[in-house]
Amino acid sequence: MIRQLFFVYGIAVLAVLGFAEYRGWSLNRVDQIPNVPKSVRDNPGSYRSVYGYYHHYTGGK
Amino acid sequence: MSATGPTPGGKPQVASLNCPGCGAGLTVRSLGNAVTIVCDSCHSILDARDPKLRILQQFRTKTNEDPPLIPLGTRGKIRGVLYEVIGFQRRTIKVEGISYSWHEYVLFNPMKGFRYLTEYEGHWNDLAPLRALPATAPGKSSLTYLGETYNHFQTAQANTTFVLGEFPWQVRVGESVRVSDYVSPPRVISSEGTGNEITWSMGEYMAGRDLWKAFNLEGEPPAPIGVYENQPSPPSANVKGIWKMVGVFVGLMLALFIYFFTTAEDREVFQQSYVFDTSAGGEASFVSNTFKLDGRTSDVELTTSADVDNNWIYVNYALINDDTGHAYDFGREVSYYHGHDSDGSWTEGSTKNRVIVPSVPAGLYYLRIEPESDPYHGSIRYTVTIRRDVPQISLFGIALAALLLPAAFLTWRAMSFEHLRWSESDYGKPPDDGSMVSAIGSMADSLKNSGGGE
Repeated sequence: MIRQLFFVYGIAVLAVLGFAEYRGWSLNRVDQIPNVPKSVRDNPGSYRSVYGYYHHYTGGK
Repeated sequence: MSATGPTPGGKPQVASLNCPGCGAGLTVRSLGNAVTIVCDSCHSILDARDPKLRILQQFRTKTNEDPPLIPLGTRGKIRGVLYEVIGFQRRTIKVEGISYSWHEYVLFNPMKGFRYLTEYEGHWNDLAPLRALPATAPGKSSLTYLGETYNHFQTAQANTTFVLGEFPWQVRVGESVRVSDYVSPPRVISSEGTGNEITWSMGEYMAGRDLWKAFNLEGEPPAPIGVYENQPSPPSANVKGIWKMVGVFVGLMLALFIYFFTTAEDREVFQQSYVFDTSAGGEASFVSNTFKLDGRTSDVELTTSADVDNNWIYVNYALINDDTGHAYDFGREVSYYHGHDSDGSWTEGSTKNRVIVPSVPAGLYYLRIEPESDPYHGSIRYTVTIRRDVPQISLFGIALAALLLPAAFLTWRAMSFEHLRWSESDYGKPPDDGSMVSAIGSMADSLKNSGGGE
């Protein structure tokens, strides 16, 4: 019974892996924003308001 | 006593005799086959071969202190043969000052002879005498029988502490025999010896519920406690098969890997270099030219290369679909530091950073870019490269882990089972019998020992 279950599980793992590779899945976290206005091209700074908040990086040494 | 025995399937035929000790009626079931009979009223052990039923021994233990779970006279089919329970005894061994007792039931069929059932804490064994001697090798703690290897489990001095019913040997309370068990689950080979006389028997583990069904007993059998010496291990039975399947799946995964890495487009669709003047101040954000992402929904790899030297640059990106306005928003840091200290030279970070944007549909896209860095560090030149449909090795790593985890868990369970089994033996740990569980166990022991030695 366990072997049959593992066989089905293994097939499922391979199927998900194949689909994930095909569709280009990734573990990276990327925010997605719908309907960015065309005006961003004329005024790239205005994109901040679309995003809702603006993160200023404070990294480096 | 009559020479005729009970008719299997019919009503038991019993001889009516009286106990010479207390006068109580004796029920004799094996008729002419018993060597001793125990009176269940006064607990006199009687010589069944003597017409006067000479009393051989008397003992004081009461029957209700340790009653048989299968009453004497009960009939049931074992391996298709009808047997009747005619005797019951308790035997006790002492290990490290602690007494352990098990029960043995004598079964009888007039055509097939005697058979035995043993019970210890809910674990049952069906035993029959061996007709051939097992092969033993000097200096080895195992024996072979019919091509199967049995590992020595335990040797102890067993004392008979209670008897009831009929026995095909001269039973006595207090008699002591040296008992050795050799196991190859679900079988066990036991030797019983006094002096030079050794008898061998083979047992096979039985589930209590199967016995209850075979003997048509009421209620439930006692639940098994712990792991018994020859109890079959369900996880161990599956381990080899599961690892074989893991091997096949890893092979298939390798085939998928080769397929995706040879057929992926992995095509550069955009590259542009920019210079960020950290001293300039003001708004640094801008948008790139448009570029096309073709084909099916797939990933996009964005690489940022910067000529940072003991410096950093952080770039906020938005990959925006020119038609739908759908944006993928993320930021990446490129930082690279190096120097010398008392330990020698050191470096930290890299001049390159790579990010995968998952599942991006085809379309016309542009980047909205906004770099940041410490002010007044001069100019930082950086290049943004975008590739389409890039194969990802990390997914194969995750899939491999997903396959290995259940197999590793099952192996761990099998090892735990074997550890519990052998913790009750004379050795404390499983022997290396060439199985996968043994091999992994030995590996784990080696690692533990090498770690502990440091």
